[in-house]
Amino acid sequence: MKLQHLRAITAPWLLPAATAALAAAIFIADTVTDLELAVPAFYTAVVLLSVRFCKKREVILVGLGSLGLTLLSDFLTSDTATTQAGVINTAISLLAITTTTYLAVRIETEKEAAYEARSQLAHVGRVTTLGELTASIAHEVNQPLAATVINGNACLRWLADDPPNLDEARQAVARLVKDANRASEIIAQVRALTRGSPPQKDWLAINDIILATVSLIESEILQNQVSLRTELADDVPLVQGDRVQLQQVILNLILNALEAMSRVGEGPRVLTISSARNDANGALVTVRDTGVGVAPENLDRIFNAFYTSKADGMGMGLAISRSIIETHGGRIWATPNSPRGAVFQFSLPVGMEP
Amino acid sequence: MSGTTPVVFVIDDSPSVREALDSLIRSVHLGVRTFGSTDEFLQSKRPDAPGCIVLDVRLPGLSGLDFQREMVKSEIDLPVIFITGHGDVPMSVRALKAGAIEFLPKPFRDQDLLDAIHVGLERDRARRQRSAVVAALRGQFDKLTSRERQIMLKVTSGRPNKQIAAELKLSEVTVKVHRRHVMRKMKAKSLADLVRMADKLSGGAETA
Repeated sequence: MKLQHLRAITAPWLLPAATAALAAAIFIADTVTDLELAVPAFYTAVVLLSVRFCKKREVILVGLGSLGLTLLSDFLTSDTATTQAGVINTAISLLAITTTTYLAVRIETEKEAAYEARSQLAHVGRVTTLGELTASIAHEVNQPLAATVINGNACLRWLADDPPNLDEARQAVARLVKDANRASEIIAQVRALTRGSPPQKDWLAINDIILATVSLIESEILQNQVSLRTELADDVPLVQGDRVQLQQVILNLILNALEAMSRVGEGPRVLTISSARNDANGALVTVRDTGVGVAPENLDRIFNAFYTSKADGMGMGLAISRSIIETHGGRIWATPNSPRGAVFQFSLPVGMEP
Repeated sequence: MSGTTPVVFVIDDSPSVREALDSLIRSVHLGVRTFGSTDEFLQSKRPDAPGCIVLDVRLPGLSGLDFQREMVKSEIDLPVIFITGHGDVPMSVRALKAGAIEFLPKPFRDQDLLDAIHVGLERDRARRQRSAVVAALRGQFDKLTSRERQIMLKVTSGRPNKQIAAELKLSEVTVKVHRRHVMRKMKAKSLADLVRMADKLSGGAETA
């Protein structure tokens, strides 16, 4: 993404215009000169230049165009007698253009792969940092809360003493209030921290985001012996938002689903990810699993921070997901799946037509 | 309560947790001393009373688990109760294997902590009693003459007087006299009693 922005800034129209001019010049020179001169070989320069500002498919088009122009000028100059040397020269030119185009496309493919790998790495890095940050915040909040609980208990014990020790009880409550305030201060700081980095606002195709996320953890899905179904509608509107954040939400929902299904001994493990246009012309994403499911009385609580049903869970994943979806103006909710499992859905508000 | 009040040593880097534990432990009429780090604890002078340590796993510098190992080297033989803000199962297994009484994730039920503290103090009290008995026996043993010690060791390993006399080239009467002195000086009521004492003396170095 960034790479393309950069190109757009450094060469908004100059390079394409120059390339087109060069192609025209070669075409004219080729047409007015004798066939014996291998002028069309210069089209390779056009192809190489186009790599600088074109995508893979466009580079191929440039290559095909060059071939077409070569043949066209051949046709235009063919009223003079075709010499053997002329035919050979044309053949060499066509071969040179084809080879160059092929190599240019190869280079472009490698570059795209490298860019993809790099952005995935950045993504994983961000997820890991988030995990570490969460652990650290959890510890910071837990200390004053643990102290609050101890102070409350100490206070009850001082009051139950015979005679009750009111002075000690009062001090315990004073400390309790102080510690509870401390915990709330830490939370306020975390809020300020997240406000400090406004999410990116790009026009995004939610299907691309789903596929990119799935490709990140495909091996994990296979390892868990889960069969994956993707049902992506092609009329989903583009949504405005932060690609990495939305990827985090989907990743989190998929990881939760895998975890829930790993806790089920028997029966099929099916993960269904679907996208659709919702009633309000926004995007709707559904992650459906056949895992242990969520008890109906917990459906409201699972999005609360620090609520977890996992032995080693932090209880932050869904809370963070909800805050991400809400800053995007959307909504996230859970319902039971039938016959078993859970359905997590989020909707994003009306975007642009695809 | 046998004379001295037991003391609970709290080592936690969070001042608010320290203050709260200080109050909670005092509310059940136990002595308590708090420390912000294991270094602070090591540099303090500990009272001669039964005690146990309430130790936070996550500490600046030496972690709680490392400190548990260090304690063995520095011959601090106090029972340990771990409290932790982020405990996992492997960590608790490691702590309990190394002899910890409890491994409590914060926040914990106050009764769980107090129960663990009582178990720890009881364990330390028993250990202190054992080592006091051994120390007294050693005092008595040290007062024996070298001949008497020789005879006590032979008697308690089950040799009859006649054999001891032969081995040490003494008369049987002399052996009997020494034996009486040993029984009196060691305050042993019977031969069986004396054997038990010899046992404690020889095993004392290992169990203390």
